[in-house]
Amino acid sequence: MTMQDMLNDLLANVVLMHTDDKLMLGHMQSDWTGLAPILEEDIAASAMSQDDLSHAMILMEWLSEKYGLDVDSIGFRRRAEDYRCCDLATVPDNFDWSVSLVRRWLLATFSSIGIDRLATTDDASLSARCRRIQDEQAIQLKYLSAWMVRLGSGTDESRERMQTALELLTPEAGMMFEPPDATLSDKDACCSDRDDVFQQWIEIVSPTLRDAGLTTTFELPDRQATGGRRGIHAAHFIEQLEEMTEVIGTDADASW
Amino acid sequence: MSGAANPVAPAEITIDEDPDRLAEFEQRIADGVLIEPGDWMPEAYRLLQLRMAEHHANSEIVGALPEGEWITRAPGMLRKLALTAKVQDEVGHGQMLYRVSQELGKSRDDMLRDLVTGKTKYHNCFNYPCPTWADIAMVQWLIDGAAIMNQKTLADGAYGPYVRTMNRINMEEAFHFKSGEDMVLTLMSGTKAQKAMTQEAFDRWWTIALAFFGPHDKPGAEDMPAMRWRMKIERNDSLRQRFVNRFAPAAIDLGLVINVVTKNEQGLVTSATPDEQLGVDESTGQWSFTEPDWDEFWKVIRGHGPCNAQRLALRRFSYEQGAWVRRAIAHGAVVTPPAA
Repeated sequence: MTMQDMLNDLLANVVLMHTDDKLMLGHMQSDWTGLAPILEEDIAASAMSQDDLSHAMILMEWLSEKYGLDVDSIGFRRRAEDYRCCDLATVPDNFDWSVSLVRRWLLATFSSIGIDRLATTDDASLSARCRRIQDEQAIQLKYLSAWMVRLGSGTDESRERMQTALELLTPEAGMMFEPPDATLSDKDACCSDRDDVFQQWIEIVSPTLRDAGLTTTFELPDRQATGGRRGIHAAHFIEQLEEMTEVIGTDADASW
Repeated sequence: MSGAANPVAPAEITIDEDPDRLAEFEQRIADGVLIEPGDWMPEAYRLLQLRMAEHHANSEIVGALPEGEWITRAPGMLRKLALTAKVQDEVGHGQMLYRVSQELGKSRDDMLRDLVTGKTKYHNCFNYPCPTWADIAMVQWLIDGAAIMNQKTLADGAYGPYVRTMNRINMEEAFHFKSGEDMVLTLMSGTKAQKAMTQEAFDRWWTIALAFFGPHDKPGAEDMPAMRWRMKIERNDSLRQRFVNRFAPAAIDLGLVINVVTKNEQGLVTSATPDEQLGVDESTGQWSFTEPDWDEFWKVIRGHGPCNAQRLALRRFSYEQGAWVRRAIAHGAVVTPPAA
């Protein structure tokens, strides 16, 4: 089995979609460690970054067992076009906590749906791994939703910042629902039912936005639109991948 | 990492207390009784303990910065997770130590403002650069190793909240040290380029680690308040000697060469020659070594090190960019201080 075998498999692509979202989000958010607005929140945010990286690793271990690839090869040594994350995961936040929080919340909501669905697959190993992730994912979502409301309804300044961040990221959010493989139909495999997932996602995010006093309109992009899920990545993803692999990429055979 | 090796210069300490109460207080310390926040204590004791805990807390959160810069570049999932967790630990240590300090009478925001405006200090060792991944290994191995050595003595101190915090911190520091040791061992078992990178990083950090414990002790240090009140337990020179006795043979076993170096303004090594003073007295087990450059030490302490401005600027940026979040929580009560 090879990397290409993995990339040709439909279910593997669905798993990679969530794996890479979590890998790159964890990577982006871990950069905040030591720099968050409040020490206690710094610790909590870093714990969530570690959760995301750990979840990515749990899913990579499933891929590793199935395709005989080591975890770091999957995480660090693929070609850029073989990553299946959406661009939202690597949108620069320029150390603006509002952008960081909204980005994380949008993706956590999507991930919770995807992981819940993957937990019902026939593959016992994969479903067991997803069940391990579910509890932490649920805690994350609850925690992030509480912060959305806290800052959305905090001061005029915080509400304005959160609204601006939401408007910045709204156009990116629709591409979270891009199927990772063009051959996936709406009824194919778990979590690829785009319209259904989108509807479920809207039902989760809407009450939080209402409670936070924030407004936006999310839309599904055209089915033909291609983006990160199919390897067509924005420049900011490429920059992040280069940074992530800066050390490990210096010597393909070295152990670190 | 970090540790409060040299925070409490006991300059101009005035002890103006009732002699009987003072004697009773000092007897409790001599008897090994832990002093608690609600207990009577000399004002000078409270002030010194606050200074020490605050300096230590500052060191933890500034110490998170050089390693934090490498989280996004950590090579591999396990290293990435371990480094994120490690830096998070340092922030957690800062949080615990600020809590200790708050109980001694200074607000969190006042402490953070004093840090970013340069009114208070943090440990000198964080004013040096980490230009390669091997520097991160050295920080975790040498600097965390030095911190553990110092903090284990501080855990034998007299102020209850600080002692308990040291015990908690030391447990986590032991993991950091193990992680650093594993990183150094991996690199020194690696390719020629990895070994060269590791030696270069070792050259940068060996003397910083020697200076970690602070300058030579003044005569009569044991009789000064910091040691008499068991805030500081062991003399700087004694800690430094124990460090060299432990780490010099370990470095040599790993294949590293202990060099005497010169550095440029950026903290990068410009020349390195084997330390001719290095050697062990087999009868005592004591290692001899070349002293760190104390002129450089004082220069960096006075704010002219390779990374002083960079560290303070990033800490200040973090403080300022998060002010709106704190205002939202406090409903507008937080203000940003003017730049130093």
